[in-house]
Order: sequence, then structure tokens, then C-alpha cells
Amino acid sequence: MKIGPGFLLVALVLTSTAAHAQQNQPSIEQLLEEPFLDDYYSNVVYGYEIITDTQTNASRYVGNSLQCSNCHLQAGTLEDALPLNVAGMYPKWRAKNGKRNGIGLRIRECFLYSMDGIMPPEDAPEVLAVSAYVTYLSQGQVMGAEPVGRGVPTLPDTGYDPNPANGRAVYLAQCSSCHGERGEGTAGMPPVWGLNAYNKGAGMNDIQQAAGFIWANMPLGNGKSLTHQQALDVSAYLNLQVRPADPRDSKFLKLLEHLLN
Amino acid sequence: MIRQLLAEATPSFSWSARPGNWRIEVFAGLVGAILVIPQGITFAYLAGLPPEYGLYCAIFVTLICSLLGSSSMMSGPNTAVAILIGAAVLPLAGRGSPVYIDFVFLLCMMVGLIQLVFWLARGARIFQYLSPAAISGISAGAGFLIIMASLDSMLDLSTFNTTFFYEKLYVIASDARDLVNPFSLAIGLTTIAGGYLGRRYSPRYFIIIAVSAGYLCGLLVAFIWPQPHTELEYLGRMPLQWLPLTIPNINMDYLMISINLIPYAITIAFIGLAQSLVIVRELKMETDQNINLDKEVYAQGMANFLAPFFSSFAGAGSFNRTRANQSLGATTPLSGIAAAGFVLILITFLGPVLTYMPMAAMSGTLFIVGADMIKWRDIKHYAQVRSELAIYLATFISIMFFGLAVGVVVAVFLSVSVFMLRISQLELKVEPGDAGLVLKVKGALFYASVAHLTERFHSHAGENLTVDLQYTTHIDQSAVDFFIRESRHMTAHGHKLTLLINDRQRKFLEKLGASTELELVSL
Repeated sequence: MKIGPGFLLVALVLTSTAAHAQQNQPSIEQLLEEPFLDDYYSNVVYGYEIITDTQTNASRYVGNSLQCSNCHLQAGTLEDALPLNVAGMYPKWRAKNGKRNGIGLRIRECFLYSMDGIMPPEDAPEVLAVSAYVTYLSQGQVMGAEPVGRGVPTLPDTGYDPNPANGRAVYLAQCSSCHGERGEGTAGMPPVWGLNAYNKGAGMNDIQQAAGFIWANMPLGNGKSLTHQQALDVSAYLNLQVRPADPRDSKFLKLLEHLLN
Repeated sequence: MIRQLLAEATPSFSWSARPGNWRIEVFAGLVGAILVIPQGITFAYLAGLPPEYGLYCAIFVTLICSLLGSSSMMSGPNTAVAILIGAAVLPLAGRGSPVYIDFVFLLCMMVGLIQLVFWLARGARIFQYLSPAAISGISAGAGFLIIMASLDSMLDLSTFNTTFFYEKLYVIASDARDLVNPFSLAIGLTTIAGGYLGRRYSPRYFIIIAVSAGYLCGLLVAFIWPQPHTELEYLGRMPLQWLPLTIPNINMDYLMISINLIPYAITIAFIGLAQSLVIVRELKMETDQNINLDKEVYAQGMANFLAPFFSSFAGAGSFNRTRANQSLGATTPLSGIAAAGFVLILITFLGPVLTYMPMAAMSGTLFIVGADMIKWRDIKHYAQVRSELAIYLATFISIMFFGLAVGVVVAVFLSVSVFMLRISQLELKVEPGDAGLVLKVKGALFYASVAHLTERFHSHAGENLTVDLQYTTHIDQSAVDFFIRESRHMTAHGHKLTLLINDRQRKFLEKLGASTELELVSL
């Protein structure tokens, strides 16, 4: 097939406009300085504020002392640290609940599991704002395709079982200065177990996923310094600790936790 | 004049000198606080705001209004005002988003300012022209809107927009299996049943019984099924502060867009004041409180203007809480001040318990509140007079189909036109006198009623006429012009027009130069 120059020109114009559209989107810093924003951008900014300061901006549905950006590092813009530019991936089927999930349900489940709180209603302003922020971050991504660095890296099989005892040693040496010896967290650093951490239904409670996150990003600012085996060991150690119950199993315990907390 | 305004503008505390039982007042405040908590939360939902704003409204609007006012009226979150705020701001921004809240604050400040202008213009009298039938019609229409709004959250529908209410009912009925959340519906129905059963035993606290029934049903549901399965909507944690000071966001862009809000601001200001003043007027008639209506207008306007600075939205007098207050024997603003304090204390302690309050239970109470506003007794009462029934039904139906703002305009228009029609009716009686006919005129003689008089004059053309004006309440220039014209016409045909008048009317007629043209006879 012969490709005419006209086609090339059209393709060129199309790609350049696509690139243009991406550049044209104002940055969060620019948006924060605007005195007035329309409904969409004000929701984007609100979503950004929820991600970076969940405790003040979405406290209604939050049950622990984490922030979204504790896992979605750099407000969900960092590759291999659960980046939030994934609007094009939804809706999709997920094994976690055996349903077709829209981005709204995905966000609501974050509140329920990772934030150990209450599932917000579909039309809660917080959910809509985070959806708007996710949409904003996803500008320029290809629909249905996985963005580069989505989620956390899957660690290769090391050939050994994860060893929690070894994980404890690594944790005390490398992690406890920020996350505390008993996982209670320090100022600005999130707790990793205990009643103020994510619950047993959260994705971080999965050894493989947590290990991938730890290997790629921990210790903060010095990611990929642990070996794969060390990351798996630490992950297994965290997995053994006490944390809030899975809201799908222990309903009564969950109620008590909420009423007490 | 200025001194009088200043006296109205400052808190008087004259009630503190009046003999009254402060214990009764404080207890009434406690009951008011218990009643207002579910209302504040649900009305915040109606206004499209997070629940804590309703509670702040219950605290600060009540407090400011009671401090500045002179009556035992309980102000605070109000249904009609909340619905109107939602209707006004929803087209501008997403429900509950920061921009939405900014616009609500701006709207409330506008409402407060308009009410303060009403106060300066001594506008309290205007509300005497709103007929009771119109007020009942507005209240019934608001009740209907509340019931429809409560369905949203009771059936756990994500809000979908329909033009008319019957469309929504049709969609719900035809797609009930997919749309309706059975858990939510069960909790809502339990709440409503609890409310109506509870009313038999305790007419005063049945709202509390209803909420408790819904809450317990919600706990039961949460105990058996997990939330990901039930998808129930809970109230959640309320980040409550004791002094939630905010500075409303005002700049050129906001002001330009908020021009759209002006009609709503006027409607809200008008409806809020109308309700407050109806309550105050009833209080004034039924109790011996020393109430100054203008001071109440000022208090309400100031409370609404200051509301945004305390993270709350505009409010108005509450019928049900004022009634509870009155039945407990409260007679001073102290009860309102106490209620504000108790809300703060109760919420601080109830906060963790309220976290797991299902929104379906809240909307169940909303349903009861709405159903109570449509009173069968009112319809029967107004059915006796055709014009009253017409006003009531026209108001109610236009609110059902076109919303509260249109309904209020209809109500005002109809009340005023019925009033006009009545006042322009003259009672005319013709009697034979010693020098021709005597025409006795009862009523106000002004441009609108002169036409009626003209007809009578023409039917008696060709006779000497004496017009007896001693029962006429008012004469305006167009009536005098009419007499002069008729007098000239009659003299040209050889007849005579005589006016029987009193001293005040003589002064007015002489000022207009009618004494040279007309034969005036003093009584």
C-alpha cells in the first residue's frame, strides 16, 4: 500500500494535536494558584488535596491515620508506586469482588480497605473529586492499555519462601527509623500495622504486592536497594502483624472498631 | 429613627429581667438540640452540603438569632431554605465540592443582606399580605419536595435528574429490581414505622424514636451483611470543630457567576422571613412575650449574613422546634441559646455513634417531616372558601411541577391579586333622598375601584345624585378627577352632583381644588 503525503500530514497534525492537548493541561501548581476554577478543575484540585491530605479533606470516610499519598507516592504520579493515571483501565473485571468495576467503585473500595473506613456512596463529593483527579492524571494515556509502571513491579521467583524472621531483622535495621519499632509510624510517616494502619482486606496485605512496593520504593528515596528476597521477607513480616479486620469477614468486630476508634 | 434602629440592632437582653424559670428554658433548649440534630444533618443533605454544615447551622444560626432576637422562636436549619439552596447552587457546581460550598456561602451572605435591606425598609409588614392559604400551600409543596428527596437516599438511588416527579416514580417503579437497594429500603421503612408508632406514645420525641429505630435496624443489617455487599450509605465521621471560623471566598469571578443566584437569594430571603414572621406572629398572639417584629427580621438577616463565617448555611424559624419549645414552657431567647450549646456538647459525645448512622434512617425521618407538612386538615379548612382553596392548590401544584421558587412567585401573585380584587370591590347602596338619589359608598375609592362606581353612575344618568362618602376609607386623586368630570357632565345636562364628606376628606378635596367644581356638604 502506498502512503500518500496527505496521509502523513494528517497523521502529523493528529499526533501534534494530541501532544499539544497533553501539554495544554495546566499543572496542579498552576491550578492551585488560580483564584477561580470551573467545576472540573476545582474537583481536580479537591481530588489532589484529598490524595495528599486525606485526613483533613476526606475524613468522613477514613478510619485510620493513613494518607492516599502514603502508597500512591508523589500524589499518584510516581511509576511503580501505584500511580493513579489509570482511568483508561476502567471499567474492568476484578477478582477481588468478582464484579465489573468502574473507577468509582475502585476508589470507594480504597476507602473501605486501605483507609479502613466506610465505603462512600457513589455520588459522594470525595469520590467524584478523586475520579476527576485520576482522569486529569490519565490525560494522554491510551484507553485500555496499561500505563508504564502501573501498580507495583511483580518480583521474580527467588526460589525461597519468604522468611518473616529475617524480615524482622531487615525491618528493624532499615524501616523502623521511620515506621517505628512497633509499626506505629512517626510524624509524617505512616503506620504499617496496628489499628491505625490498613486492614486485612487491603491490597497491601498481599505479600507479593507489598513486596513489589517495598522493593521498588522503600526505604523512601532509596528504592530498589533491598534484594528481592529481603523485600519479600519484610512483606511477610508485616503480613503477620495485628491490623484491623477485613470488613467482609468480621462484621461485629468491624462495628466495634469503628465505634471505638 | 436611628436610635430605634440601633436599639433593634444590638442584643437587648431585656428578657433576662423578665421573671422566667431558667431551668425550664434550659431543658427546652436540650429538647430542641436533640430534635435539631437529625434535622440539621438531613437538611444539609437537601442543601447538598456535608452534614457538619447542618450542625454548624443548628449551632450558630440559632445562637445569633436568639442573641439578637427578642422571642423564644427557634431558628436554625429550615427545610424550604435548604431545598432552595440546593436548587440554586447545583447548576453551578458539583454537590458538596469546594466550589459548591463557596457558592452556598456567597448565596447565604446575599440572603442575609437582602433580609437586612428588608429590615431597613421596615419590610415586616409586607408579609401580612401573604395569605395563610398561600403559606400552607408553600409548606405543603415543600413537604412534597422533601418526600421526593427522601426517596433518593431511602432507595439508595444515585441522583438522576428528571424533569417532573412522576417520571422519577415511573423510572423507580419500572426498574425497581436494579435501582432499589433492599437494605436501604428496609432501614427507611423501619424508621418511618418507628416514627408513626412512636408518635402514639410520645408525640414530642417521636423523631428521636424514629431515628433510633432506623439506627438499630442499620446495626442489625451491618451485623449480618458486610458493607461491600449492602452498599449502604453511612453518615461517616464528622470532623466537628468548636469554632469553625471561615472566610468566604469572594472575588470578581465568583461575583460574576453569582448574578445567577440573585433570584434565588431573593426567594430564599423572602421565604425564610415569611416563615420566621409567621411563627413570631403566632407567638405574639399566643403568649405575652414582648416581641418586636422588626428586631426579629434584623436577627434573622444578621444570622444568615454571618452564617458563612461560621461554616454554616442560611436558616429560618422552625415550626416544629418552636412548637416543642413553647409546649415545654419556654418564653425567652435563653432556650435558643441553650439549644445551640447543647448541640455542640451532644455532637461531641455522639460523634462516634453517629458514624454508623445509615443515611436511609435519616431520610426516613425526612419522609416523616415531609409528610407532616402536607396537612389534610388544611385542605379541609381552605376548601370552605373557593378563592382560598384555589390559592392553596395552585401553590401546591406549581411547586410539585415547577419547584419551590416558581411556587412562591405564584403564591405571592395569587395572594396579592385576591387581596386586590377584594379591596377594589365597593359596596354601593342607592336610596331615594329628598333631592334625587343618595349613593352610599363603602370601601376604598381609588383608581382600581372607580370603574365599579362608573357603572353605577351610568345606570342612574339623568337624575340628581348625592354621593355619601362617610364610609369611604380612602379617596385618591383619580376618584376626585372622576367626580369633577362627572359633575361637569351632569351640570351640562341640568343635574346636580353633591358629595357628603367628613372633615379629613374636605381637606384633601380642597387641596386638589375640587371645592370650586363640586358641591361639598360636610356632615
